[in-house]
Amino acid sequence: MADVKFQSEILPELDPSAPLLDVRDLQVEFRTRDGIAKAVNGANFTVNRGETLAIVGESGSGKSVTSQAIMGILETPPAKIAGGEVLFHGVDLLTLSKERKRRVRANHVAMVFQDALSALNPVYTVGFQLAELFRKHRGMSKAEAKKKSLELLDLVKIPAAAQRINEYPHQFSGGMRQRVMIAMALALDPDLLIADEPTTALDVTVQAQIMRLLAEIQAERQMGLILITHDLGVVADVADKISVMYAGRIVEQAPVLDLFGKPAHPYTKALLRSIPRLDTKGQKLEVIEGLPPVLTNIPPGCAFAARCHYAQDVCRTDIPLLETVAADRAAACHFSAEVINGE
Amino acid sequence: MSDVSTPKPSKQRSLWSDAFHDLRKRPTVIVSVVVLLVVFAIAFFPSLFTSVDYKQCDIALTKAGPVSGHPLGFDEFGCDLYSQAIYGAGPSIQLALMVVVITLLVGGFIGVLAGFYGRWVDAIFSRIVDIFSSVPFLLGSILLLAMFRDVDLPLISGQFELIIPAVLTLALFGWTNTMRLIRASVMEARSQDYVHAARSLGAADGRIMFRHILPNAMAPVVSLIPLSIGGLISAEATLSFLGLGIKPPSITWGIMISNGAGWFTGGYPRLLIVPSIFLIVTVLAFVLLGDAIRDALDPKLR
Amino acid sequence: MGRYVIRRLLQAVLTLSVVLFMLHYLMSLAIQINGNPVRTFFGDKPVSDELLQATMEKFNLDDPCLKSVGDPCWGMFTDRMQQWSHFDFGTDFQSVKIGDSIANAIPVTLTIFAITTVVWALFGVTAGVLAAMNRGRFIDYLVRIGTTFTLAIPGFLMLILVQNIFGVIIGNWFREQFGRESFLSLIFQPTYSAKAPFLSLVIPGIALGVFGIAGITRLSRTSMLENLRSDFVRTAKAKGLKRTRVTIVHTLRNSLIPVVTVIGFALGDALGGSVVLEGLYNIPGLGLLAFNGVKTNDTAVVIAVVALASVVFMVTNLIVDLFYAVLDPRIRYE
Ligand SMILES: Nc1ncnc2c1ncn2[C@@H]1O[C@H](COP(=O)(O)OP(=O)(O)O)[C@@H](O)[C@H]1O
Ligand code: SF4
Ligand SMILES: [Mg+2]
Repeated sequence: MADVKFQSEILPELDPSAPLLDVRDLQVEFRTRDGIAKAVNGANFTVNRGETLAIVGESGSGKSVTSQAIMGILETPPAKIAGGEVLFHGVDLLTLSKERKRRVRANHVAMVFQDALSALNPVYTVGFQLAELFRKHRGMSKAEAKKKSLELLDLVKIPAAAQRINEYPHQFSGGMRQRVMIAMALALDPDLLIADEPTTALDVTVQAQIMRLLAEIQAERQMGLILITHDLGVVADVADKISVMYAGRIVEQAPVLDLFGKPAHPYTKALLRSIPRLDTKGQKLEVIEGLPPVLTNIPPGCAFAARCHYAQDVCRTDIPLLETVAADRAAACHFSAEVINGE
Repeated sequence: MSDVSTPKPSKQRSLWSDAFHDLRKRPTVIVSVVVLLVVFAIAFFPSLFTSVDYKQCDIALTKAGPVSGHPLGFDEFGCDLYSQAIYGAGPSIQLALMVVVITLLVGGFIGVLAGFYGRWVDAIFSRIVDIFSSVPFLLGSILLLAMFRDVDLPLISGQFELIIPAVLTLALFGWTNTMRLIRASVMEARSQDYVHAARSLGAADGRIMFRHILPNAMAPVVSLIPLSIGGLISAEATLSFLGLGIKPPSITWGIMISNGAGWFTGGYPRLLIVPSIFLIVTVLAFVLLGDAIRDALDPKLR
Repeated sequence: MGRYVIRRLLQAVLTLSVVLFMLHYLMSLAIQINGNPVRTFFGDKPVSDELLQATMEKFNLDDPCLKSVGDPCWGMFTDRMQQWSHFDFGTDFQSVKIGDSIANAIPVTLTIFAITTVVWALFGVTAGVLAAMNRGRFIDYLVRIGTTFTLAIPGFLMLILVQNIFGVIIGNWFREQFGRESFLSLIFQPTYSAKAPFLSLVIPGIALGVFGIAGITRLSRTSMLENLRSDFVRTAKAKGLKRTRVTIVHTLRNSLIPVVTVIGFALGDALGGSVVLEGLYNIPGLGLLAFNGVKTNDTAVVIAVVALASVVFMVTNLIVDLFYAVLDPRIRYE
């Protein structure tokens, strides 16, 4: 299956041996009334085929901006990609022509958005919005496109698909709508799927169903999956590895079990203490005190310093770099050795 | 949902003070406010701006050009154009202000009642609004004023006698907009926490409506006030032009335009241009101010 | 949806009946206060009671209720409605059948409104959409300044200026250069010309289009801006659709829905404006009919024309509402 994709028409120059997605030092700024807001300040991570990466962080930490920069759908201006590379099998998506960028979307990299009600066009049927992909990218006839759309709705387990295909987004329940979004993202069999808070708008029970669906399809198709969330608890079961984002930087990355067992960054540690878990039942949950820095005026040194119990003078002057702290693990903290050892 | 971490300041207050802050800095706002202050001064104290009597005309001076003491020359009847333009501001501005006050009071009161009580109260008032809004504004005003143009209104005399019929007519067709806006925002406000709180403390309906709901429901109407004053000045000028608004011996810009229109291509464009510029600049100032307020209250759509 | 249509229709019928009665009542009141307009036919000449009575009868103005101020004149109202139900609108003071006058006036006014609607759709919507797509750039400023000025220049003044500048100054120049019958001379006319019924209506129609265009342009712009920022447009981009498709299918189509609703308001402005327009240009349409009827206190004409205008206005707004529901499925399925 993967081999077919290696002869991409759109990206003939891609290198199959390079990682599926390798984001290096990505920087995104916004021009705002109050000045330049540095929403992403050097994000680094990789995703391989068949792998699920979770990106976790408080809201406002730059997760959505990062994913939209990868997709190439940021409005420029006000946004500006100030630096870095987004390598898809070695090809920098940021340097492609507009037309090639457009064709990479949906064909190679697809995205599921948080709020499906607003992310689907209210005036077209679900069927129209699905079929559009096949008709515009594959040149299929109406009938063919409809057949393919039906298959997709079946794939994401929407009951009575043949009838619901003619309904409008507002006629679906939240969970069903998110399934439609997922079907749309999967339509052209992308190599990488980015799901930006796919379950945040849903009830807890529905959340679990959607997560399971994403995990199943990811495993079956051996896609790369980037799962974005502000809730660590949601991704524990499905992710292979986790990148923790704070104020536009990746501050820690690690395989799931390592990260949950021995966090290497004070922020990760604080995040873990703030999720409800069975074994801590009855204990008081901790909230992280203070606020993230204002993005138009990020202080020198570590962006977390003002909220960090471990902070020393060096933290307020020198920016900690993302460095290897153990096998497969990296953290951006001057004192990660102490943190990882629970001191 | 997504911004739990950022503190939310009191929404209403920051909206208004932000808006005010924003407005003060804009050149269009400063210019229109200055223009409007001058226009109001002209409208209420015309004698400060000219010592010439606009009614003193000398037919021998018909259409004569500017001379010392008469900077804009004379109209076809030999009346001083500048002093006419100065005295022409008053009636239109007074009329517009009176109509706006009446529509705010009537439309606001009915809007609050309809929005607050809902059900049959709302149904009845909404049907009444339907009736008034099913006759186009200008058409209805023309019709009404023309039918009763020769009628002397009882009880009113003096200066106001000349503007009251137009005031009543424009108010009659104008209150429905205010009513609709207020009704909609009262309906929204009705279900909010502070209303429940006031109610659970045993506040009477009237107090809840006018002390708690109305101040909050006014926001959408406020930005429309300058725009509607501008619109009313235009409407009055239209009616005067048709001979249906304020009538001679009063003078208004509409009457001046009506008198001057025929001379525009006859070699005396000044007779049309002078009142037109006064009218356009005034309405423009109101429109710009209204736009600026609306933008300031809803910066996204700028 | 079906129930919604029926409810709206019933409301419209109810409103219309009240409007008709109010019109009738106001006209009767005007006669009761001002005196019977038939008297003015004879000027200052002495006139015998019999002749006066006969003339009043002829114009259906002989009902004694017209002598007592405040009397609703029910009898006259029901008679008139009965006649109307047979499409008999009576005769005016010149003994011309009002039905015929209206029938002759309708095509003229319709032509003007057709031109006006094209102006709204073509210039109003396009300007708003272009401004939104070029937000903050030159076109946007131009359109915003343009709408501000059209709001600031009262409609009648605009009509006077258009008439003088395009009809007289420019028109006369064309007539000198190319002769009276040339195409441009016929378009740029100071008044309606029966010789070129369509061409001489083009400029007045465009000028009337300026009534209400600001609302349409501004709403197109804000609506487009709102949708350009929307999540579903972002989704359309994420689907790798071409820019033109994102703009037309996923932004413009959604943006036009609210614009439809202001067309009703704009039409109301234009109906009032048409009285001024047709008066100025002496265009033999419904506006002029109403204008002259008002001048001569010709009750039957005024009621018929204003009632027609109200019906048209109401029906348009009804269609607009239904059309809105057709365009927006969220309303349709409620
Ligand atoms: N269009 C924009 N203009 C200005 N700032 C923006 C814009 N979009 C996002 N931002 C800023 O970028 C930061 C990161 O936002 P985002 O990526 O949406 O965070 P999240 O991690 O919650 O997804 C936020 O602080 C936000 O204020
Ligand atoms: S670098 Fe310093 S301030 Fe930043 S997280 Fe580590 S210890 Fe805390
Ligand atoms: Mg986000």
